[in-house]
Amino acid sequence: MNASTTNFFEAIGAPVVDIARAWGSMFGCGLRTLRAIAMARIAWREVIHQSYLIGNRSVPFITVTLGFLGMISVYQVAMQIKQIIPDFTMLGPAFIQIMIREFAPTITGLMIATRVGSGIAAEIGSMTVTEQVDALRMCNADPIVYLIVPRAIACMVMVLMLSIYAVLVSTISGMLMANGAFDINMRTFLSLQLTNGDDIVIGAVKALAYGFSIPIIAGNAGLTTSGGSEGVGWATTRAVVSTSFAVVVLDFLISAAGYIFT
Amino acid sequence: MSGDAVIVCKGVGKRYGRKWIVRDIDLEVRAGELLGLIGPGGHGKSVLLRLLAGLATPDEGEVRVRGKNLADIDPFELAELRREYGYLFQNYALFDFMSVADNVAFPLRQAGGVEEPEIARRVKERLEQLGLGEALDRFPSELSGGMKKRVGMARATIGEPAIVLYDDPSAGLDPVTSSKIFRLVRTMHHSQDDVASVVVSHDIDRMKVICDRYVMIFEGKVLFDGPEEAIEGADPMVGKFFFGSLGQSSGAS
Amino acid sequence: MNGALKSLASSVGGAVLAIAETIGGAVTLLFRILRALFPPRYDAEGVWRSFYNVGVKSYPIVVMTALFVGAIMVIQTAFYVKKTGATGIIGYGVGFSVFAEIGPILIGLMFSGRVGANNTAELGTMVVTEQVDALRALAIDPLPYLVVPRFLAMLGMLTLLMVLGDLFAIVGAALTAQLLVGFHWRVLVADLLQSRLLDEFTMGLVKAACFGISISCISCYFGLAVRGGATGVGRAVNNSVVSNATAIFVIDFVVGYLYSL
Ligand SMILES: Nc1ncnc2c1ncn2[C@@H]1O[C@H](COP(=O)(O)OP(=O)(O)OP(=O)(O)O)[C@@H](O)[C@H]1O
Ligand SMILES: [Mg+2]
Repeated sequence: MNASTTNFFEAIGAPVVDIARAWGSMFGCGLRTLRAIAMARIAWREVIHQSYLIGNRSVPFITVTLGFLGMISVYQVAMQIKQIIPDFTMLGPAFIQIMIREFAPTITGLMIATRVGSGIAAEIGSMTVTEQVDALRMCNADPIVYLIVPRAIACMVMVLMLSIYAVLVSTISGMLMANGAFDINMRTFLSLQLTNGDDIVIGAVKALAYGFSIPIIAGNAGLTTSGGSEGVGWATTRAVVSTSFAVVVLDFLISAAGYIFT
Repeated sequence: MSGDAVIVCKGVGKRYGRKWIVRDIDLEVRAGELLGLIGPGGHGKSVLLRLLAGLATPDEGEVRVRGKNLADIDPFELAELRREYGYLFQNYALFDFMSVADNVAFPLRQAGGVEEPEIARRVKERLEQLGLGEALDRFPSELSGGMKKRVGMARATIGEPAIVLYDDPSAGLDPVTSSKIFRLVRTMHHSQDDVASVVVSHDIDRMKVICDRYVMIFEGKVLFDGPEEAIEGADPMVGKFFFGSLGQSSGAS
Repeated sequence: MNGALKSLASSVGGAVLAIAETIGGAVTLLFRILRALFPPRYDAEGVWRSFYNVGVKSYPIVVMTALFVGAIMVIQTAFYVKKTGATGIIGYGVGFSVFAEIGPILIGLMFSGRVGANNTAELGTMVVTEQVDALRALAIDPLPYLVVPRFLAMLGMLTLLMVLGDLFAIVGAALTAQLLVGFHWRVLVADLLQSRLLDEFTMGLVKAACFGISISCISCYFGLAVRGGATGVGRAVNNSVVSNATAIFVIDFVVGYLYSL
């Protein structure tokens, strides 16, 4: 084997090995987090603190993004309906159903992935490059238990709560749009007629899954940061993409499971 | 003066990417011994120290602590061993989300078994000893480099560890404080029987007062291993590095 | 009570000021870019390099996301079909939601996360390592060198990638329809193509172009405004992605509304 073919195989192989290693470390991190939660090694005060940090600045962010999403979705669908049969009675119920099952948790998950995922990666990444994580290890404080578990629990709870809030915000903004632009009665719009228990379960499972995976992936990006302060910037950007993509993949998997089992 | 080997390195090598940072390191750290680790900047001292603590895993060879290979012991045994360690990081590595007092108290709280008032007393005592009595409630970001180093020193020694690794304890400190720090290193070393200490420093004059044995790392290899008297017979480079810095302490290359 | 009210007022005021500052900064940057474009005054070679960089960085994530978006929308539509039995709406429902709304938003968010965040980190690192000052010291205006090529590349690439994304979304939809929902893929694709969704398709492209403009302006603005070392870069990346996401939803609304007038 001459040098150029070796180089070729290395060039092809290296990214594959890197990706495999990254997935391995991510799943390892997830498993260790689950084990720590199962063993009840949880610092509740830190969980509350993290919940506050996650929730605090996310509320206005979710309000704006889901408010606009609710308005434009209702507007565009109503414009379509108007051209075919001007019967708007099912618009509200269908909108509320798909918000609960799909868009409220998923868009909330994406927003939290963006805002909180990048924040976690930056925070833990800078602790890694300044050797604070090593200092934790030397004191027998497992970085997973100490840093990731509280964030994972807080984030699960907060994504669930914020998803509920997102349903409210998008429903209200959609209802106002329906009423203002198409003269749809608010009572008609606000109906849970199409929503059943399955939709709520699917939406909740999505929220919890996003909430758990975001801190794991972002935290793992932070813990594997290398290359000094510049590395922190790269870990942060990597975390934004990986967490957002994880939300999309989980959305697909849970939707598919929901479709098959209901 | 020195007893059994506490840490034994056999053929240890570590690389980042393709570059071997240290290689073929054979080294013993013995109980009761204060070992000085010297060498030019960037030649692998800190990396070696991380290997000795199990913070980095060797790519070659093995590091044994009390007979156990750090690379393949189970987490509980590792935790057991870590309880004996104290580590002063070169760049302090203070927890920036905790006050100075909480930083120093952290190893004690983590180890458990010490009452909170006792912890507070010991933290205050140690910080006062290092001239930081005023800084208890401040945060690391409000401290100067030298103050951070001393807080790191307090955190490394508060649990009265049996194996203490100091990475450049006097960097960035004035001569008076440096002497104080080195005196603390010696006090810690003799506070119990059979403490094993490793000090990395460029401050050879002050090391001479306290160290029993020296290891010089040069380009990732052990160039010298022995007491001060043996330097004359060794590679001339060692003598130059060791005595050349006489009178101009802290000669980081 | 009074104190709490005051602190609330001051934090709301502070937030409003910060938002105004971001919008002002990004819009000013946009005007300066446009002035540099007419007459053209920028580093032409840099533009090609930027196109290449942006494209290479973002196409894998855009393609993957698009596949999943198509798949997800098929499942969502199939839920209705299961309830109502109206199989005729699958092709139309998927095409409409992917082309007009969900495709642009999700691809825009991914692009912002990949390219926008990266761009802020890159420029921010250049600022904190004083490379931007070094340019200024040589009397070189950083705008034509650093900002204009990125602007053109993001605008052009995101629009192109939107076409690619729509294509791959159809692939994802067809695969899922066939394998999961038990709906023949040819029927789905034929339905979709017959649904006369040209308006929705072009609206998606217009949205993508607008996202390209906003992502480039916002991410460059935050990158060049970095202060305070490495932590400053991390904070700037965070602010940049948050502002970009907000801008995407606002723009999505405005374009969607204007398009139907
Ligand atoms: N995490 C890492 N990734 C890549 N290279 C590293 C890493 N850590 C250390 N190195 C490299 O290893 C070499 C030795 O570094 P080390 O920190 O051990 O030097 P040192 O002897 O402690 O120097 P100083 O006296 O200045 O502290 C350097 O060339 C450094 O660039
Ligand atoms: Mg060092």
